[in-house]
Amino acid sequence: MGRITFDRSLYNPDAVEAAAAAYAEYAEITLERAGDTLVAVVGAVTGGDRQTVESSFCNLVLQETVVRMRRAAASEEE
Amino acid sequence: MALGEHDGRSESRLGFSLGPDHVSFDVDETVYPLDAIYGGCYLFVDRCFVFLTRPGPRVVNVRLTSRGPATLAELDALGGEFVNELLSQANRLRLSQATARIREYYTAAALRAAASAPSVDDLLAELDAEELGDDPLEIAVPWEEKTGNKETDPK
Repeated sequence: MGRITFDRSLYNPDAVEAAAAAYAEYAEITLERAGDTLVAVVGAVTGGDRQTVESSFCNLVLQETVVRMRRAAASEEE
Repeated sequence: MALGEHDGRSESRLGFSLGPDHVSFDVDETVYPLDAIYGGCYLFVDRCFVFLTRPGPRVVNVRLTSRGPATLAELDALGGEFVNELLSQANRLRLSQATARIREYYTAAALRAAASAPSVDDLLAELDAEELGDDPLEIAVPWEEKTGNKETDPK
Protein backbone atom coordinates (compact mmCIF):
# COMPACT_ATOMS: atom_id res chain seq x y z
CA MET A 1 0.00 0.00 0.00
CA GLY A 2 1.45 3.33 -1.03
CA ARG A 3 0.81 6.73 0.45
CA ILE A 4 1.27 9.77 -1.76
CA THR A 5 1.23 13.14 -0.03
CA PHE A 6 0.08 16.12 -2.06
CA ASP A 7 0.77 19.57 -0.66
CA ARG A 8 -2.38 21.66 -0.95
CA SER A 9 -0.35 24.76 -1.86
CA LEU A 10 0.85 22.91 -4.98
CA TYR A 11 -2.00 20.55 -5.85
CA ASN A 12 -5.66 21.44 -6.20
CA PRO A 13 -7.77 19.10 -3.98
CA ASP A 14 -10.43 18.90 -6.70
CA ALA A 15 -7.74 17.78 -9.12
CA VAL A 16 -6.65 15.02 -6.73
CA GLU A 17 -10.24 13.83 -6.40
CA ALA A 18 -10.78 13.94 -10.18
CA ALA A 19 -7.59 11.95 -10.81
CA ALA A 20 -8.52 9.40 -8.12
CA ALA A 21 -11.90 8.92 -9.81
CA ALA A 22 -10.23 8.54 -13.20
CA TYR A 23 -7.88 5.87 -11.82
CA ALA A 24 -10.63 3.91 -10.08
CA GLU A 25 -10.35 1.06 -12.58
CA TYR A 26 -6.56 0.78 -12.13
CA ALA A 27 -6.20 1.16 -8.38
CA GLU A 28 -8.12 1.45 -5.15
CA ILE A 29 -7.41 5.03 -4.09
CA THR A 30 -8.79 6.64 -0.97
CA LEU A 31 -8.09 10.21 0.05
CA GLU A 32 -7.27 11.48 3.53
CA ARG A 33 -7.19 15.16 4.37
CA ALA A 34 -4.52 16.12 6.88
CA GLY A 35 -3.84 19.81 7.45
CA ASP A 36 -2.05 21.33 4.50
CA THR A 37 -1.78 18.01 2.75
CA LEU A 38 -4.00 15.56 0.99
CA VAL A 39 -2.86 11.95 1.20
CA ALA A 40 -3.81 9.44 -1.47
CA VAL A 41 -3.68 5.92 -0.12
CA VAL A 42 -3.18 3.54 -3.01
CA GLY A 43 -4.42 0.02 -2.30
CA ALA A 44 -4.63 -2.88 -4.71
CA VAL A 45 -3.39 -2.07 -8.19
CA THR A 46 -4.69 -3.75 -11.35
CA GLY A 47 -3.52 -3.48 -14.94
CA GLY A 48 0.08 -2.42 -14.41
CA ASP A 49 2.92 -2.32 -11.94
CA ARG A 50 2.40 -0.28 -8.79
CA GLN A 51 5.14 2.27 -9.42
CA THR A 52 3.95 3.10 -12.94
CA VAL A 53 0.32 3.40 -11.84
CA GLU A 54 1.22 5.64 -8.89
CA SER A 55 3.55 7.84 -10.96
CA SER A 56 0.97 8.14 -13.75
CA PHE A 57 -1.65 9.05 -11.16
CA CYS A 58 0.64 11.82 -9.85
CA ASN A 59 1.12 13.12 -13.38
CA LEU A 60 -2.64 13.26 -13.89
CA VAL A 61 -3.11 15.11 -10.60
CA LEU A 62 -0.52 17.68 -11.69
CA GLN A 63 -2.07 18.00 -15.13
CA GLU A 64 -5.56 18.48 -13.68
CA THR A 65 -4.18 21.07 -11.25
CA VAL A 66 -2.58 23.09 -14.06
CA VAL A 67 -5.74 22.92 -16.17
CA ARG A 68 -7.90 24.08 -13.24
CA MET A 69 -5.46 26.85 -12.35
CA ARG A 70 -5.47 28.14 -15.94
CA ARG A 71 -9.26 27.96 -16.20
CA ALA A 72 -9.58 29.93 -12.95
CA ALA A 73 -7.11 32.56 -14.22
CA ALA A 74 -9.00 32.87 -17.52
CA SER A 75 -12.37 33.30 -15.78
CA GLU A 76 -10.87 35.96 -13.49
CA GLU A 77 -9.65 37.93 -16.53
CA GLU A 78 -13.16 37.85 -18.00
CA MET B 1 28.71 13.74 -15.55
CA ALA B 2 28.12 13.19 -11.85
CA LEU B 3 30.55 14.82 -9.47
CA GLY B 4 30.23 12.61 -6.44
CA GLU B 5 28.11 9.73 -5.29
CA HIS B 6 26.80 9.14 -1.77
CA ASP B 7 24.50 6.25 -0.85
CA GLY B 8 23.30 5.70 -4.41
CA ARG B 9 22.53 9.42 -4.83
CA SER B 10 24.81 11.80 -6.62
CA GLU B 11 25.02 15.43 -7.56
CA SER B 12 25.19 16.38 -11.23
CA ARG B 13 27.40 19.05 -12.74
CA LEU B 14 24.31 21.28 -12.87
CA GLY B 15 23.72 20.86 -9.14
CA PHE B 16 20.80 18.46 -9.39
CA SER B 17 20.35 15.54 -7.05
CA LEU B 18 20.45 12.35 -9.09
CA GLY B 19 18.99 8.97 -8.17
CA PRO B 20 18.91 5.70 -10.11
CA ASP B 21 15.93 6.79 -12.21
CA HIS B 22 15.22 10.35 -11.17
CA VAL B 23 16.58 13.85 -10.90
CA SER B 24 15.38 16.37 -8.32
CA PHE B 25 16.13 19.97 -7.46
CA ASP B 26 14.70 22.88 -5.50
CA VAL B 27 13.18 25.89 -7.23
CA ASP B 28 13.00 29.27 -5.51
CA GLU B 29 9.50 30.68 -6.00
CA THR B 30 10.77 34.24 -5.59
CA VAL B 31 12.80 33.72 -8.79
CA TYR B 32 10.49 31.37 -10.68
CA PRO B 33 6.78 31.98 -9.97
CA LEU B 34 4.57 28.95 -9.35
CA ASP B 35 2.76 29.60 -12.65
CA ALA B 36 6.08 29.22 -14.48
CA ILE B 37 6.80 25.97 -12.60
CA TYR B 38 3.36 24.67 -13.57
CA GLY B 39 4.00 25.69 -17.19
CA GLY B 40 7.24 23.73 -17.25
CA CYS B 41 5.65 20.71 -15.57
CA TYR B 42 2.78 20.71 -18.04
CA LEU B 43 5.22 20.41 -20.94
CA PHE B 44 7.16 17.58 -19.28
CA VAL B 45 4.39 15.26 -18.07
CA ASP B 46 4.40 13.36 -21.37
CA ARG B 47 8.18 12.80 -21.18
CA CYS B 48 8.61 11.78 -17.56
CA PHE B 49 6.84 11.50 -14.23
CA VAL B 50 6.74 14.84 -12.41
CA PHE B 51 6.12 15.26 -8.69
CA LEU B 52 6.20 18.45 -6.65
CA THR B 53 6.80 18.84 -2.92
CA ARG B 54 7.32 21.85 -0.70
CA PRO B 55 10.41 21.45 1.48
CA GLY B 56 10.10 25.01 2.81
CA PRO B 57 8.25 28.27 2.38
CA ARG B 58 8.59 29.70 -1.16
CA VAL B 59 10.58 26.64 -2.22
CA VAL B 60 9.29 23.91 -4.52
CA ASN B 61 11.11 20.63 -5.02
CA VAL B 62 10.70 19.19 -8.51
CA ARG B 63 11.31 15.49 -8.99
CA LEU B 64 11.51 14.14 -12.54
CA THR B 65 11.44 10.35 -12.86
CA SER B 66 12.27 8.73 -16.17
CA ARG B 67 9.64 6.51 -17.75
CA GLY B 68 12.28 3.90 -18.58
CA PRO B 69 15.91 3.16 -17.78
CA ALA B 70 18.09 6.26 -18.02
CA THR B 71 21.75 7.01 -17.47
CA LEU B 72 22.89 9.72 -15.08
CA ALA B 73 23.88 11.85 -18.06
CA GLU B 74 20.39 11.52 -19.54
CA LEU B 75 18.80 12.43 -16.21
CA ASP B 76 21.12 15.41 -15.89
CA ALA B 77 20.13 16.52 -19.40
CA LEU B 78 16.44 16.09 -18.54
CA GLY B 79 16.84 18.32 -15.51
CA GLY B 80 18.79 20.85 -17.57
CA GLU B 81 16.05 20.99 -20.20
CA PHE B 82 13.46 21.46 -17.49
CA VAL B 83 15.22 24.42 -15.89
CA ASN B 84 15.74 25.99 -19.32
CA GLU B 85 12.01 25.66 -19.93
CA LEU B 86 11.41 27.10 -16.47
CA LEU B 87 13.39 30.19 -17.41
CA SER B 88 11.48 30.51 -20.67
CA GLN B 89 8.14 30.17 -18.87
CA ALA B 90 9.14 32.77 -16.26
CA ASN B 91 10.19 35.23 -18.98
CA ARG B 92 6.98 34.64 -20.91
CA LEU B 93 4.93 35.21 -17.77
CA ARG B 94 6.72 38.46 -16.92
CA LEU B 95 6.37 39.70 -20.50
CA SER B 96 2.68 38.82 -20.44
CA GLN B 97 2.19 40.72 -17.19
CA ALA B 98 4.19 43.71 -18.42
CA THR B 99 2.15 44.04 -21.62
CA ALA B 100 -1.24 43.22 -20.06
CA ARG B 101 -2.40 46.86 -19.97
CA ILE B 102 -1.51 47.60 -23.57
CA ARG B 103 -3.21 44.37 -24.74
CA GLU B 104 -6.32 45.32 -22.79
CA TYR B 105 -6.22 48.80 -24.37
CA TYR B 106 -5.99 47.46 -27.93
CA THR B 107 -8.74 44.89 -27.30
CA ALA B 108 -11.02 47.59 -25.88
CA ALA B 109 -10.24 49.91 -28.82
CA ALA B 110 -11.04 47.14 -31.30
CA LEU B 111 -14.33 46.35 -29.54
CA ARG B 112 -15.28 50.05 -29.46
CA ALA B 113 -14.52 50.36 -33.18
CA ALA B 114 -16.60 47.27 -33.94
CA ALA B 115 -19.49 48.55 -31.85
CA SER B 116 -19.51 51.95 -33.56
CA ALA B 117 -19.22 50.55 -37.12
CA PRO B 118 -22.16 51.71 -39.30
CA SER B 119 -24.77 49.17 -40.36
CA VAL B 120 -25.68 48.42 -43.99
CA ASP B 121 -28.85 50.48 -43.60
CA ASP B 122 -26.78 53.42 -42.35
CA LEU B 123 -24.47 53.15 -45.36
CA LEU B 124 -27.41 53.00 -47.81
CA ALA B 125 -29.03 55.99 -46.15
CA GLU B 126 -25.73 57.84 -46.43
CA LEU B 127 -25.55 57.02 -50.15
CA ASP B 128 -29.12 58.23 -50.66
CA ALA B 129 -28.35 61.44 -48.88
CA GLU B 130 -25.29 62.19 -51.01
CA GLU B 131 -25.60 64.84 -53.73
CA LEU B 132 -25.38 62.88 -56.98
CA GLY B 133 -26.56 65.70 -59.26
CA ASP B 134 -23.06 66.80 -60.22
CA ASP B 135 -21.36 64.56 -62.77
CA PRO B 136 -18.19 66.36 -63.84
CA LEU B 137 -16.76 63.22 -65.49
CA GLU B 138 -20.06 62.55 -67.27
CA ILE B 139 -20.19 59.02 -65.98
CA ALA B 140 -23.97 59.00 -66.24
CA VAL B 141 -23.83 60.05 -69.94
CA PRO B 142 -24.05 57.04 -72.32
CA TRP B 143 -21.01 56.37 -74.53
CA GLU B 144 -22.98 56.93 -77.73
CA GLU B 145 -24.08 60.38 -76.64
CA LYS B 146 -20.56 61.33 -75.63
CA THR B 147 -18.93 60.27 -78.94
CA GLY B 148 -21.92 61.07 -81.15
CA ASN B 149 -21.41 57.83 -83.08
CA LYS B 150 -23.84 55.03 -82.29
CA GLU B 151 -21.99 52.46 -84.47
CA THR B 152 -18.62 52.84 -82.77
CA ASP B 153 -17.65 50.02 -80.56
CA PRO B 154 -16.17 51.44 -77.34
CA LYS B 155 -13.69 48.55 -77.26
